[in-house]
Amino acid sequence: MTDDKDVLRDVWFGRIPTCFTLYQDEITEREAEPYYLLLPRVSYLTLVTDKVKKHFQKVMRQEDISEIWFEYEGTPLKWHYPIGLLFDLLASSSALPWNITVHFKSFPEKDLLHCPSKDVIEAHFMSCMKEADALKHKSQVINEMQKKDHKQLWMGLQNDRFDQFWAINRKLMEYPAEENGFRYIPFRIYQTTTERPFIQKLFRPVAADGQLHTLGDLLKEVCPSAIAPEDGEKKNQVMIHGIEPMLETPLQWLSEHLSYPDNFLHISIIPQPTD
Amino acid sequence: MAEEQESVLQLLPSSAAGGEGLTDVSPETATPEPPSSAAVSPGTEEPAGDTKKKIDILLKAVGDTPIMKTKKWAVERTRTIQGLIDFIKKFLKLVASEQLFIYVNQSFAPSPDQEVGTLYECFGSDGKLVLHYCKSQAWG
Repeated sequence: MTDDKDVLRDVWFGRIPTCFTLYQDEITEREAEPYYLLLPRVSYLTLVTDKVKKHFQKVMRQEDISEIWFEYEGTPLKWHYPIGLLFDLLASSSALPWNITVHFKSFPEKDLLHCPSKDVIEAHFMSCMKEADALKHKSQVINEMQKKDHKQLWMGLQNDRFDQFWAINRKLMEYPAEENGFRYIPFRIYQTTTERPFIQKLFRPVAADGQLHTLGDLLKEVCPSAIAPEDGEKKNQVMIHGIEPMLETPLQWLSEHLSYPDNFLHISIIPQPTD
Repeated sequence: MAEEQESVLQLLPSSAAGGEGLTDVSPETATPEPPSSAAVSPGTEEPAGDTKKKIDILLKAVGDTPIMKTKKWAVERTRTIQGLIDFIKKFLKLVASEQLFIYVNQSFAPSPDQEVGTLYECFGSDGKLVLHYCKSQAWG
């Protein structure tokens, strides 16, 4: 259906206007101007910020530079989380542009994974895809692919090539004719208010009676505090890619159309803004 | 080279205070493991359930990676993959610079900050989570 394919493109090409500022305690040889960039929601920070790194390293001495890391309002940003997820979870209620602080010192070992090369991002990305397919198809579809197909998925993401990526990814969105959806839905639910990194559980897209489970069904089952009681006040926003899908949306449809390139639905539960 | 040890499958909580790390609950062992809070202890025969704070993990070696004498461990749900990697490396006496990879379902390597409890929920079977470990990349 044309409309549904448009959704895939809208998700892929989503961007967040971002302003990168060098941390004030970094040592520079001259003033560091902020750097503005449109960040792809579906990508990863360390994959798309080479220009940011170059820009700030131009005003620094070699000996003052070690691994780059990013922070928003004091929170180190996990590069291995998709950019759109980080923004929705931490900054969506604030005015644009997203103001990110750039660091080259004092890497926070406890909060962040190291990212010494693009290979590490690729390995992480492919692992997430494999985990998603383990849930969707018992790994059958991804294991049947050749190495070059896996490479094409990664290259599509790295080079922002929608068609290249989806030529292969569409196979991961198929399911047997006799079923009504995937075996289990790959999802992760994030909240800043809890200690746990995220909620991830087994959840079928179709009920025993053949009814399609909805986003609301999922939340009721695995994160009931996210939804307001029937007559209660709405306390939270349930956000994916910067929007609040209706809770009646079938989860199978969300999985096919609003997943990130890693094939996971990354869902943010954030407090309802009070403006 | 892994040292030969008595594998005593008892759940003896460590009484010594200590930093992070995992319990060596075998009193017979000659290995001076740092005593610590019992985040990991040799496996029990209790049935695993949703509400249990610890989950059972079965560790399997891949290729020519040394085999752990004790393969079954009860691990706190919030223990991360990195924590498990550090534990196995210490147990097998690998040097810090040696890499160790952990795989689920012999197909994907979870992120180091992944909690074992979540992996157990999604990929556990017969009351345990089977993890393969390897000194080199086995399944990409």
